[in-house]
Amino acid sequence: MTDEKKHGLLSAIIMGLGGAIGFEIFALLNYAYFDLAGPSMISALFFCGIINLVTMLSYSELSASIPEVGGEYTYTKVAFGGVISFMAGCLRWLASVFGGALAAVVFVNQLGVLFSVFAPSIQDLVLVNASLLIIGLVVILIFLAIRGVEEATTFIVAAFLAIFVIFLAMSLGYTLSPQNIVPEASGNGIVIFFATTAYLFPMFVGMRALVAGAPQIKNPGKNVPRALIISTVLLTIVYFAVAYVAVGAVPIGGEVTGDELPLLNLAASTIMGPVGAILFALAGIIASVSSVGTAMTVQSSILGGMSRDGYLPNALLKAHKRFGTRYVAIIASSLFVIFFGTSGAVEFLGYAASFGSLLVFALVNLSLIQLRRKMPRLDRPFKAPFYPLTPLAGIVMSVLLLTFPVVLRDVNAESALLSSLGMVAIVLVTYYLRMVKREVDFNRLRVAVGGICFGAGLTLIVLTPVIAPPSLFIIMIIAGLVSILAGILNILVSARKID
Amino acid sequence: MEIRRILSAIIGIAQGVIGVLFGVLAVMLVLNLTEVQTVFNVPPELLPLYLLILGLFSVFSIISGFFLIREWQGIT
Repeated sequence: MTDEKKHGLLSAIIMGLGGAIGFEIFALLNYAYFDLAGPSMISALFFCGIINLVTMLSYSELSASIPEVGGEYTYTKVAFGGVISFMAGCLRWLASVFGGALAAVVFVNQLGVLFSVFAPSIQDLVLVNASLLIIGLVVILIFLAIRGVEEATTFIVAAFLAIFVIFLAMSLGYTLSPQNIVPEASGNGIVIFFATTAYLFPMFVGMRALVAGAPQIKNPGKNVPRALIISTVLLTIVYFAVAYVAVGAVPIGGEVTGDELPLLNLAASTIMGPVGAILFALAGIIASVSSVGTAMTVQSSILGGMSRDGYLPNALLKAHKRFGTRYVAIIASSLFVIFFGTSGAVEFLGYAASFGSLLVFALVNLSLIQLRRKMPRLDRPFKAPFYPLTPLAGIVMSVLLLTFPVVLRDVNAESALLSSLGMVAIVLVTYYLRMVKREVDFNRLRVAVGGICFGAGLTLIVLTPVIAPPSLFIIMIIAGLVSILAGILNILVSARKID
Repeated sequence: MEIRRILSAIIGIAQGVIGVLFGVLAVMLVLNLTEVQTVFNVPPELLPLYLLILGLFSVFSIISGFFLIREWQGIT
């Protein structure tokens, strides 16, 4: 791209806001408010902004000194290479899959909200057929992604900001005074506050789109850090103000539980009437469709990058003859989006997307420290201030946010963390099997699969008396025994060949 | 050797079938066909975890069964 065609500071800010402002605000505020922190959710949003800013400083240094496409994957590859960069790429892909699935769920929910204004009977139809609608949406977007349709980021950002400004302006006519917006200082209050921060964090992470697009920005050494800081501050102010008004308009307690309508839609219809309900539902639909589309493009780009480096099968690099897009990677990722999206579990997907992003944030901060030590003479047009405190704070905060929802024993967080750790284990096994010598590949794979089957079978037999319904008892015991025997056979045959 | 090959065939086919059945069950859970979520008493918040466990068990069972069937056919 020539210098004249590159974007300036304003476009960079729009790029950052475009990546971050989206469907998440419709999905995540509800659970955070009604089930987690209550009004102190507003403070959690402010804290999210601070954490995001700290890590964005690390991102800024890395994007200025390594202005190449690939974002986190490239930074970890330069800093560590090998398994760390492979893991960063996989986690980034995973976070995008969970985010895309969450966006698909929000699409159906907001479609339901829109119809609830006009025709409640159609709303029921939408909610009953949610899975089919999600599959339909993803299939349509697969075709669009393969055709390489461009997105209207500027339009969406402008529309969102306009809707939020109207919402905030109309709220001036009301006396809103939300109580208890500061978290309780007691032990449980702090745990809930951090858990809420972790849950709301995906509302900010999209800002890294700006870092991924750094090569398209004029003078990235100056403009990217400035744009990141300005967009983080703007975003924090907007989210804080919108959440403040929403919490003020929909006081917690009483009959309102958030089950009928999401918090933001409830607040919009309270303050702006039916027009507000329609406007916010439309905004939610547009944002979620756009996010599913973006997620597909991001996922195919990550998978393509990892295939190019030999970590994943070359088939993922296959480009469409006519449109030039990586259609195999797009379809492969979309199947995962459908798989998780049809579960409809908003809270689980919110945590899962957050955990994936937080792990990536921790790896990015580690990469910054490693690069300062490994390549001290690297040209750094921007340096993260207060080094090494900034990246260390980023790592500590990421780990804390990963921990607190589990300490709170939130079942959604536990499921999300277990799923994420399970995926990390698969990533490590895949890397090991992929990168070892070819001649022993097959037998190592058999030993690994045999070991997994042996362990899974044993676990199944131990857990069956506890969890299995009586009708399935015998079937599960047989499945467990077969799995154990198959594991032993695979291990015995292949271990001998490796030796 | 012959006994091991026969055992590989039986266990391989059985495990492959179990893997496919677990995969079908995962799909039925996702789409809630025949109210299977209620039948198995699956709480909605734990559904993704059930899907993940069933999916992983299914994939690894099919792969393991495939290896054993290959051995039975003398491909390895």
